[in-house]
This record gives sequence, C-alpha cells and structure tokens, in this order.
Amino acid sequence: METVLLPSTQSKSLSRTTWAAQLRALGAIIWREYLHFVRYPTWIIAFIIWPILFPATYIFSSFALAGPGGSGVARFLEVAGTENFLGYIVVGTTVWMWANTMLWNVGFALRGEQMRGTLESNWMTPTNRFFFLLGSGPVHAASTLMFFIFTVVEFRLFFHLTFDANLLSLLAVFLAALPALYGLGFTFASLVITAREANTFVFLVRGIVMIFCGITYPLTVMPQWMQAVAEWLPPTLIIRAARLAALNHAPLEAVSRDLLLLLAYGAFWLALGYLTFSQIERRARLKGALNQY
Amino acid sequence: MQTEFGLSQPSWRSHLRALWMIAVNNWKHHWRYPLNAVSDMLQPLVWLAPVYFMGQAFSVNGRAEGFAGFAGTDDYMSYIILGTALTNFIMAVFWGMGFSLKWDMDGGVLEANWMAPLPRPLMLVGRTLSSLATTTLTSLGMILIGALVWGFHPTGNALSAVLVAVPLLIGLYGFGFAFAALVMILREANTLVDSGSYVVMLLSGANFPVTVLPKWLLPLSLALPLTYGFDAVRAILLKTRTLLPLNVEIAILLASMVLMIVIGLRAFYALERRVRQMGTVGQY
Repeated sequence: METVLLPSTQSKSLSRTTWAAQLRALGAIIWREYLHFVRYPTWIIAFIIWPILFPATYIFSSFALAGPGGSGVARFLEVAGTENFLGYIVVGTTVWMWANTMLWNVGFALRGEQMRGTLESNWMTPTNRFFFLLGSGPVHAASTLMFFIFTVVEFRLFFHLTFDANLLSLLAVFLAALPALYGLGFTFASLVITAREANTFVFLVRGIVMIFCGITYPLTVMPQWMQAVAEWLPPTLIIRAARLAALNHAPLEAVSRDLLLLLAYGAFWLALGYLTFSQIERRARLKGALNQY
Repeated sequence: MQTEFGLSQPSWRSHLRALWMIAVNNWKHHWRYPLNAVSDMLQPLVWLAPVYFMGQAFSVNGRAEGFAGFAGTDDYMSYIILGTALTNFIMAVFWGMGFSLKWDMDGGVLEANWMAPLPRPLMLVGRTLSSLATTTLTSLGMILIGALVWGFHPTGNALSAVLVAVPLLIGLYGFGFAFAALVMILREANTLVDSGSYVVMLLSGANFPVTVLPKWLLPLSLALPLTYGFDAVRAILLKTRTLLPLNVEIAILLASMVLMIVIGLRAFYALERRVRQMGTVGQY
C-alpha cells in the first residue's frame, strides 16, 4: 500500500519552534546550569572561603607594607586619598573575582559542553544556539550576588571592616556592570570554541584586569600610558564606582558618569559577543570543529 | 602454579619505564597547546606586576621601610620574587597530583589507568615530573625577567638555598598524595586544588612575613613545615630575619619531609581503597 503524505506534513519537521518553545528551552538551560552548580558540593567551600581567601594575600601584604607602626600608611593616603586600604583592597579584589569567575563559568560554558562531548548533539536541537550561552549568565549573576553578601559578612566578622555603603548606588553599579562583563564573557566563550586553549584566554583577560585596573592600588602609581589604557577597561570603571558607593556612601549622581560609560561599553560588548558567536559558531560548523577538543 | 601469575611482570625497571612514559605523555600534552604553555610562563609575571604596584603605593623612593620593620629587609620585590618562585613548585605538585586525577576522570581513562600494574602513588609522581621540569624553566625565566624589570638582589649562597628547598619539595609530595585521594572521593578538583594550594601558600607566608597574621591564624601558619622552608630559603638568599634559628628550621624541614610522606601515603591508600570499594573510580 502506498503511503501518501499530505503537503502540510511534508513541509514540516517534528519540531515546532515557537517563541514559547524557545523560552522553555532557555528556562531548561538555566535550570540545568543551576543543577550543575549545586551538584558539586564544593561550591559551598568556594562561597565561604574565596571571598576572604583571595583578598587575604593582598590584605596581609598591605599590613606588612604598612609596617609595625603604620609608617607606610601615610604614603598610601597620599596616593590613594584614603587611609582605609583594607576596604580599598576588598572592593577591588571582589570585582576582580567577579570578572574572574565570570570568565571561568560563562566563558567556559560552551567549552565545557565541547569537553564533555555534548555540544554537537545540543547544537542539533531546534533551540536558538545563542541561548546555550545566554543560559549560563543568570545562575552566575545570582551566585555573584550571594558571593558579595558572603564577602561583606566575612570581612565584618574577621576584619571588623565597616562599609559606609549607599545601597542604591551599589545596586546601580552592579546592574550597569552586567552587560559589559557578560558581553565580554559571551565574546570570550565564542572564541574558545575554535581556539580551544581557553585557559590562556582566561589568564590573558584576567591578567590585564589585574595589572591595569588597580584592584589593590590607585592608578596613579602606574605609568601614564598604563593609566590611559586602564580608562578604556570596564572593570576600572566598576572598581572606581563600587569603591565610591561601598566605602564613601556616594549618591547616584557621584557615580553616574562611570555608570553611563559602563552601559555604553555594555552595549558594545553584548553586540560584539553576539556577532562573534554567530561568526565563530558558523565557522566551527563548517570546519567540523564542534566536537573536537 | 601458572594460575598464580598474571601476564604482567612488574619490576622496578618497568615502573621506571612507566614513570618515564607518563612524564613524556604530559610533556607532549603540555606543548600540544602552545598558547597554554606560553601563558604558564607568563602567569607568574602577571601576578607579580600588581604586587609591585601595590608595593609602590606604600613605598617612598622604592624603599618599603614599613615592610622592613617586619621582614628585616626593605627589598620588597626580591622577597616577593623568591616567594613566587617557590610557590610555583607548590602549585606544580598540587595541580600535578590533584588535578591530573580529575583530568583522567573527565577523560574516562582513570579506571583503565588504575588497572595498570603500577603502584598508584608512582602514577601520581609521574604526573608531576613534567610539570616540575616546566616549573623550573618558568621560575628561572621569571627570576631573570623579574630581575631585569623590578630588580632581584640575592646576597646569599644560591646552592645552600636550593639544598634547603629539596626536603621542602619532597615533603610536598606527602601533601599531594593525601590531596589526590580527597579529589577522588569528592570528584571535584578545581575548587579543592585551587583553594587548597592557595590556603597553603597564604599561611606559609609566600608573599609576606607570617608575623603579620592575626594571632588566631599564626599557630596554623607555624604548624606548616612550608613556613620554615620559605623562611629558611629567604634567610639564606636575602638575609631576612628568621622565625627560629636557621638550623632548627632545617631540622624541622627534614623531620617533616619524612612525616608528611608517611602520612600522605597512608591517607592515600585508605581513601583510594574506599573509592574502589564504593565503585566510583569511573565516575565524575
């Protein structure tokens, strides 16, 4: 018996790609990222110890540099405009850790799939491919907020550090920083699909942030050309605005210039992230490099 | 009876051959990703640059006089460069032993490797050999570049310093064995290796004299043999003030070397046996 297919059946595949379906898929990706995050209980250790552990090296070094009688503090006050070197370092290093974990988590989202051998099969689903990247962002952003809370509590407990924070300004800094940082992460994640040597890119980007953005020192101690480069890097603006908001109770107006610049950088990096992803993803498919590692 | 013998005839020569092959495998893997290899060499310099600028924020005319009050020298950068070079070796052992197991787990080859007729601690040692070679190259390069850019002024006997560093390094393997077994149990290496090595580095005073630590942390630091290793090497090369008399610190290093290897191996065998009993060697 001959099977006759109706014209409507012939033209359609089994999948029904609608916006609602795409959003469900995005929700599923976010949920998967969440499950993956909580699956390994060592994240609790990371949340408890890293907020205090990473800055600790710089803090104890600053105690040593300040000297037994605090003779080095006068020089710090002269160049940084504050004696509160503890708070100064904590804010700078916390922003650095945010950028660092973003690079490892968001930046490695696709590379992780590639390493596990699931990227190619995921790519064959009728889900918008950019969603696989986008889905890694929300869980990381939420975990970052928790990380900040742990930071404040731990430094209050162990170092008696008080933050004279303007919460509204601080929240505005956090929100304004999201597009720039995650746009950078998306660009980065796209590049490592073909470059594959992801660690190198992480080390490069976080190294640039570490050296140029003044995480533990004022920019004025660097040579002029380095200060000029620093002004073009989003983390410099985030650190400067966050220090004002967290330590000096700066109102929104005081940080508005940096916030506007951050939003402009954000638009640029998000657009670049999307374009890079589209190009690289197509190139990887053409070269058959999706399942390589 | 024939049935008592397996096909494998392990001997010390076969163990050494296996050790060599593991090292060659890692060496090839390391250089297979040339950008990663270059990055590994530049990383210590990336960590040193911000430390240098931070030192500048507390120094007048390049002299860290506040720092001299604690360390006995105002040559902050030499102090840091030496600490970073030693830290590179700590990292090589931690990552070489702990992370290599995770790497094998992810690649699905751990179970197969585990069935090879080779003592498992020896496999772990093999995983560190190539990284120790690359670390030695990296550290020498870092010291050279550091000396050119920021200045490195050792005034003591380099050979004595290297001899003191040897028991420090051997003792580290003890740490590494116990640590690798922990990775097998928990199956998540990144956080463990990252935070474990960082805590050890922090408390042993890689970047500052441990006397600046709060009173509640100082005992932990003094309980770590590495603290005396850093202290002794610096005292020999930079003439810094020591925590204890130098010969006492060297005696502590020698005793702890033996102790750490014994404890590390016992912990490794106990935890590794537990993992095999649970049947989770192949999981990740």
